Amino acid sequence: MRDQMWTSLGEKIEPAWAPEREAAVRAAIARRSTRRRAVVRAAVAVASTGMLVVGGFALVRWHSAVPVAAPPGSSASTVPNPPAPGGPDEAETVTVTRLSADTVLAPLPDRDGRGFALHAGGARFSVRHDPDRPFIVAAGDVTIEDLGTTFSVRYLGADRLKIAVENGLVRVRAVGTDTEVPAGASLEVPVSPAVEDPGPKSRPTTASAASWRPLAERGQYEEARRALRKAGPSAVRDDTADLLLAADAARLSGHPEEAVPYLERVLRGHARDPRAGLAAFTLGRVLLDELGRPSEAVEAFARVRSSGGPLAEDALAREVEALARAGDVTRSREQALLYRRLYPNGRRAKAVSRFGGLD
Amino acid sequence: MSPKPHLRLAAPLPDLVPGGPVVFNELFARYGGYVARLASRLLGSGDTEVDDVVQDVFLLASRRLPTIVDLIQARGWLATVTTRLVARRLRRRRFRRLFMASRRGQDVPAPGATPEQRALLRRLYEVLESLPTADRVAWSLRYLQGEPLDIVAATCRCSLATAKRRVSAAKKVIDEVFGDA
Repeated sequence: MRDQMWTSLGEKIEPAWAPEREAAVRAAIARRSTRRRAVVRAAVAVASTGMLVVGGFALVRWHSAVPVAAPPGSSASTVPNPPAPGGPDEAETVTVTRLSADTVLAPLPDRDGRGFALHAGGARFSVRHDPDRPFIVAAGDVTIEDLGTTFSVRYLGADRLKIAVENGLVRVRAVGTDTEVPAGASLEVPVSPAVEDPGPKSRPTTASAASWRPLAERGQYEEARRALRKAGPSAVRDDTADLLLAADAARLSGHPEEAVPYLERVLRGHARDPRAGLAAFTLGRVLLDELGRPSEAVEAFARVRSSGGPLAEDALAREVEALARAGDVTRSREQALLYRRLYPNGRRAKAVSRFGGLD
Repeated sequence: MSPKPHLRLAAPLPDLVPGGPVVFNELFARYGGYVARLASRLLGSGDTEVDDVVQDVFLLASRRLPTIVDLIQARGWLATVTTRLVARRLRRRRFRRLFMASRRGQDVPAPGATPEQRALLRRLYEVLESLPTADRVAWSLRYLQGEPLDIVAATCRCSLATAKRRVSAAKKVIDEVFGDA
């Protein structure tokens, strides 16, 4: 009975649903529907604008990551370096700022953003030092290596380069010598133009930089040398294998003088590498046999001999020969006697006796 | 054993053609009052809140018109939507009550009721306010709206057993309170 009571009571609950109220509710629904459509349209517009902005920003960032000359009128612009394999923190350890509108800057291939070739203008580099992956800037035949620093490099003319250090220390390799420049100091060095003028139209690309290696490895040294000259000096990585391969491409294509800088870079920058002895021996041979510079060859052979190893006997023999050709008869004889003592049955004993005047 | 409630036959609807396209104005004209009545019985509150529910229900219906097959099926769909929206409002009301932010003691719109019946309804809704929302809605559909249990289950989107359990749980409390009524 009580359930029936609730049902009859429920039937008495009747809101006054008059036509006026119905019309008011309908109008309110229409208003809300219109407002909702407007909100949806606004949200779509905002989302579209946001996507366009994000897309445009990504496009701009992508474009600015490609090495190009800074646009005229902008005195400075930041070049984000490509992400390093170590993650985003490492990628942010290098900040590069162009210092002039005519700056032409290109990342060195295979250095994961830890090296740039400066072809024109000037740039400022802020670098966190990583002893395992040193940051370098190549400007013509000058190489600047960071030792934990902020520094700038600027061409003063076609043949002068100025390196100014703000913080830390950099090592500058120019004209065969290393100079460490401390914070607050600057250094001006002569710079030879690159092997080929790297104007904007002949800027090295990764493809051309990589193309000389397979040619050299296949023994097509002349083609490899041509490709190397076209790509510019930045196409050669600063590691022993690449430098030795580039030296081979130069000397075996009949241009031994071009091999010398590569071999010297091995001796300067990779002296502890096991192949440094081979580089020094090759340098000695190039200087002695192909360039007719026996005095310099003596130094190269002496370096190989003093470091020991499988090339020591040959190096001593060639040292004797180089000394003889340089006209240093006394030292030539001394070294020949040394050879005879160290290698009494040496395979070069006959030639050593001849050049050392022991016959 | 409590007597079963009245079983009422629905009135014939000769003008409703199954499968016909549903037009919003027609839907609102036909079911606006029904939705308002159902919301009023479930909420037990005044006109403003009922109007809000009617707006919400028909605003949703206006967006779902293409999915409503015909006017006959629209009634069940509208009942389900109304029940869901009312349940949401009731839960919000319970939450607000925790912070003493809820209005209480509203008159239930019952124009044909005697003063004693109005007092009974006011007391009933006070008791319903203390019940879990799901139990309250199920009981209200069963007894205030007079729907059979299978319709209650379908409207609440639960199984028949769950609907029975909810109705029973609410009924137990109400019977206890109104035992001497």
